[in-house]
Amino acid sequence: MTANATATDPVDTTAAPRRSGVPRRSGAGRMLLLELRRISRDPVTLFFTVALPGFLFLIFGTSEEYAGADIGNGNVAMAIMIAMAGYGAVTATVSIGASSAVERSQGWGRQLGLTPLRDATYVRVKAGLAVLVALLPVLLVYVLGVATGAEGDLAAWVLSFLVLAGGAGVFALYGLCFGLAFRSEAAVSGASGSIVVLGFLGNIFFPLSGAMLTLAKLTPLYGYVALARYPVSEGYVVTGSDTVVHDPLWLPVTNVVVWTILLAVTATLLVRRGRGRQ
Amino acid sequence: MTTTLTPRSESSTADAVRLRGLRRTFASGGSEVVAVDGVDLTLAAGSVVALLGPNGAGKTTTLDVLLGLVPPTAGEVAVFGRPPREAVEAGLVSAVLQTGGLLADLTVRETVEYVAATYARLPQGCAPTDDVLARAGLADLAGRRVSKCSGGEQQRLRFALALLPDPRLLVLDEPTAAMDVSARRDFWAVMHEEAARGRTIVFATHYLEEADAFAERIVLMARGRVVADGPTEQVRAQATGRVVSATVADPAAVADALRRDLGPAVAGTASIEAGERRVVVRAGDSDAVALALLTRHGARDLEVGTASLEDAFVQLTQETR
Repeated sequence: MTANATATDPVDTTAAPRRSGVPRRSGAGRMLLLELRRISRDPVTLFFTVALPGFLFLIFGTSEEYAGADIGNGNVAMAIMIAMAGYGAVTATVSIGASSAVERSQGWGRQLGLTPLRDATYVRVKAGLAVLVALLPVLLVYVLGVATGAEGDLAAWVLSFLVLAGGAGVFALYGLCFGLAFRSEAAVSGASGSIVVLGFLGNIFFPLSGAMLTLAKLTPLYGYVALARYPVSEGYVVTGSDTVVHDPLWLPVTNVVVWTILLAVTATLLVRRGRGRQ
Repeated sequence: MTTTLTPRSESSTADAVRLRGLRRTFASGGSEVVAVDGVDLTLAAGSVVALLGPNGAGKTTTLDVLLGLVPPTAGEVAVFGRPPREAVEAGLVSAVLQTGGLLADLTVRETVEYVAATYARLPQGCAPTDDVLARAGLADLAGRRVSKCSGGEQQRLRFALALLPDPRLLVLDEPTAAMDVSARRDFWAVMHEEAARGRTIVFATHYLEEADAFAERIVLMARGRVVADGPTEQVRAQATGRVVSATVADPAAVADALRRDLGPAVAGTASIEAGERRVVVRAGDSDAVALALLTRHGARDLEVGTASLEDAFVQLTQETR
């Protein structure tokens, strides 16, 4: 639409060896397909990424007496299902983000630095890959939820799923930052380990209370899971001391937005650093 | 004003590479390491140039700067008249790096497809995958995992990747380091074809033989500086000149006589040392020296040997101090 009429420049007709007829598919799309193929070549890791959150849900979400209790627009089983699906999505995306560190430390960053690939495109491809892989544990946990008695409004099912899928990309950036900063295999385990800690702080595994709960609201997993649970819980949170507190919607939204910006900027700066010789 | 043979007219009048006062330092444990220390270099489009020097001479850093991988600390860099990163984004320049990493879990073909995808925005697109695989001699290995490829095969893959944008400038950093002798010969045969297509080729090496066999111009670097620069024959003579030694009656007197007698052509590159019993002369024109020693100075036990490249590096480096 804004293209100038340069295609018929007569000078360029001498450029005969330049090819034509190469399909002009999106470069990022082709890179994403190849990245997915790489993931499929490590079936053991993929199995644990997908199956572990499902296992955790079956333990926490179905074998307790309170699983069937009503909350907001659903039941407790559904709230636990969302938390475990979120945890599964986050571990998937964090490890994908961090494993790019290993690639870059082996010089792939230098190789890509020789191409027109933009930093932002690289980050988008990796984030897109992470979200796609993150959908696998989320889908599995949701299927298990349906099968074992998680209940909620249709809107709650749909909205929570969308938040989990979209928000997982933020944690791809989290893993990417770890990976880019530490450039070694240790980055992957460091990032994964920190996610367990953030999981507890995110009010995922057991209810926090008091000052701990206040602090938790600043951590990234809290905002992500609280936002995904919002369609079910309407912001009400059962604390560790059996009281109920209410988070207004702006709290998880602000948490997610701030963490997204922070991690995106950090990742882009670190990618730029990765081009130098290592 | 000038006619051009190149299709991309926008950069036809620019030199392939122009470096002015290039300086690059790295922080290393609190101190500052100077990798490139004031390099001025102009490479004409269509030339084949070797960047020769020992390890640590600043070759790789110089190439990294002109590829836009690291910014210069000071000085000017232009590739086809543009900032390096712009030249890379336009597909005008690509490279085979000494330490370019590959993804072990992709196949050869997939690796080419991955990098081809990064060129999707180029208006002219990029070369077909099958074409670059064939030119790099990888057609039969297309389905092999990168992790199963030998060092030489991986290097050919890096070369295939470098061909994708059909670059006008091809930069090779120690391209044959991982190759055995026959792979090395094949590689340079292919590179001759690429040079014949009119590409500008710059390669870094510490093998004088490679520079000698392939480049039309040698830029000799040491300690971050250019210590010699000229047509290959000239630099080779300067770098490797022969060493003539002989036993004479009075080494000191003969040395003085040689300094006096030999013409400026020899004196310019010669170093003459007088020992206890022997005189040692390093010179490009060893024949003239040998003739003078035998006919005029009654020399015995005359030996003519080739100075090692290491010696030449040391000598040339010291001369620049």
